[in-house]
Amino acid sequence: MLNVAGDLSGDSWGIFTFLCAALCNLPALPALNCTEELGAGQSIQKTYDLTRYLEHQLRTLAGTYLNYLGPPFNEPDFNPPRLARAERVPSATVDLDLWRGLTDNARLAANYRAYSRLLCYLRALEGPAGTAELRHRLGHFCSSLQGLVLSIAGVMSSLGYPLPVGGPSAPPGTPVPSNDFLKKMEDFWLLKELQTWLWRSAKDFNRLKKKVPPAVVTLRLEARGF
Amino acid sequence: MYNYTHYPAVISPQDPTLLIGSSLVATCTLSPDAHLRAEDLYWTLNGRRLPAASYAALGPTTLSVALARLNGSKQQSGDNLVCHSRDGGILAGSCLYVGLPPEKPVNITCWSKNMKDLTCKWAPGTEGETFLHTNYTLKYKLRWYGRDNTCQEYHTAGPYSCHIPKDLALFTPYEIWVEASNRLGVAVSDVVMLDILDVVTTDPPSDVHVSRVGDLEDQLSVRWSSPPALKDFLFQAKYQIQYRVEDSSEWKVVDDVGNQTSCRLAGLRPGTVYFVQVRCNPFGIYGSKKAGIWSDWSNPTAASTPRSERAAGGCDPKGGEQNTTLRRELKQFFGWVKKHAYGCSNLGIKLYDQWRVWLQKSHKTRNQVGKEPFTLLFPGSGGDAG
Repeated sequence: MLNVAGDLSGDSWGIFTFLCAALCNLPALPALNCTEELGAGQSIQKTYDLTRYLEHQLRTLAGTYLNYLGPPFNEPDFNPPRLARAERVPSATVDLDLWRGLTDNARLAANYRAYSRLLCYLRALEGPAGTAELRHRLGHFCSSLQGLVLSIAGVMSSLGYPLPVGGPSAPPGTPVPSNDFLKKMEDFWLLKELQTWLWRSAKDFNRLKKKVPPAVVTLRLEARGF
Repeated sequence: MYNYTHYPAVISPQDPTLLIGSSLVATCTLSPDAHLRAEDLYWTLNGRRLPAASYAALGPTTLSVALARLNGSKQQSGDNLVCHSRDGGILAGSCLYVGLPPEKPVNITCWSKNMKDLTCKWAPGTEGETFLHTNYTLKYKLRWYGRDNTCQEYHTAGPYSCHIPKDLALFTPYEIWVEASNRLGVAVSDVVMLDILDVVTTDPPSDVHVSRVGDLEDQLSVRWSSPPALKDFLFQAKYQIQYRVEDSSEWKVVDDVGNQTSCRLAGLRPGTVYFVQVRCNPFGIYGSKKAGIWSDWSNPTAASTPRSERAAGGCDPKGGEQNTTLRRELKQFFGWVKKHAYGCSNLGIKLYDQWRVWLQKSHKTRNQVGKEPFTLLFPGSGGDAG
């Protein structure tokens, strides 16, 4: 189930191992019947934690990357224009009422698809990006983001939802930036959207956590007592 | 936030590459439905507004800017030249790549770990800073076979290094060179020729043990094992030992260890902790007369020389002296009791203990003053005993 594409640096292997251990330790709970709901509770908590961790990592990564792009991209009030028609980078701007009105399944699927695409674009940054330090940070972040995608898949399957099909590609007809400046603007929006997605996902997972039946929460506490 | 249906302007030239010191005239041409005119526009370079004096309107919808004697790009991703509408909105942008072509990479040095691989490092040419992203490619080929190979694993030993992990031939010369390229050109280093067997290094010796030599207070014995990897190939290995006193940063090197796996250090300071390291040079591989490359030093191993018993000082007095001391103590105690005890009920062991505590505290201060003279008794303790 775990597909890891590309090269992982030493630090990335560390976080990836942690994530694998985190996702795989569910069967290790002693003397308890591992019901599917118990698995979901833990999965959701870990996904939430990972989302917060990524939020934190992104702050440093974005700072470094925007400095690499140079002013005005790294200015605090920078707000470049966007094309109104379909964008390559999945937009995090949604009608909040509409968003909250979605089923858990639909919301999780939207998160899964968005992060899969965002991961693809981030990976594309790794090649040309300037310093070794920046490439290293990007590599580390991509590994963590890959972990989040897998984690969301884990939550979906433990709740009995099917995984969205189809590759993480942009809708047909979306333009690829035709010059370096436009590419820089797309990079800027990539980081900005990623920020908003993570911020909103944290809220989504927090809400989802509370929806899990209380009995499961008690069981989880007992498990932690071991 | 601005949302456009399509881009409102076009800059020319788009993403040019320029030599440091060159000049540039760029134009911003508005699209017909932009509803703006040339006089509504202004330029910024890396976020700073360019002076209006350098602008020229080339038509109702085209504004140019003249940039003279450009400096090297502020960031390797390119300088950001932006055309703005009056209210600050971005209409178009162009990335300027201003720099120098690369210099020939120099100082290529290579080494092979246990004849299994080859790592090379180099230095960029004298200028170093080209302001443009410069790519380095290490290439190598067997001298007599002619097919170029490209090294794939970079930055293994620093930013300008590459590692060739396998498929290397021995007893035959390789040609190795580095190509540097950026947007402004390519530079190729001189070719270095070497045989893998001439640049062999190995792991540091393992199992380094440092121990005392009986009671000898100025000697330590060092033993180690030859690195296992070269067991099959090694006829000889040269070793070197370095050691230092615990609180010094000056290492002393023992050079003439030869190919034994033990050595005795002499002329050391008694009662001192020493740190010892050993390294290995694979010598005479397959009958070659040449030395290889020294390995890294082994992790430091610590040991201390015995302290001589002669030293007098800070010790408790022995034998008959103890009684006198006890009597003196008791006398002092009763004197103190007279002063501090109020009535008979306070006399008891607790009081005695309180007094002992007080006595210890005052002894400590007295002892500290007393210790210094003893260090001067050791000959050569000034530091040249080694």
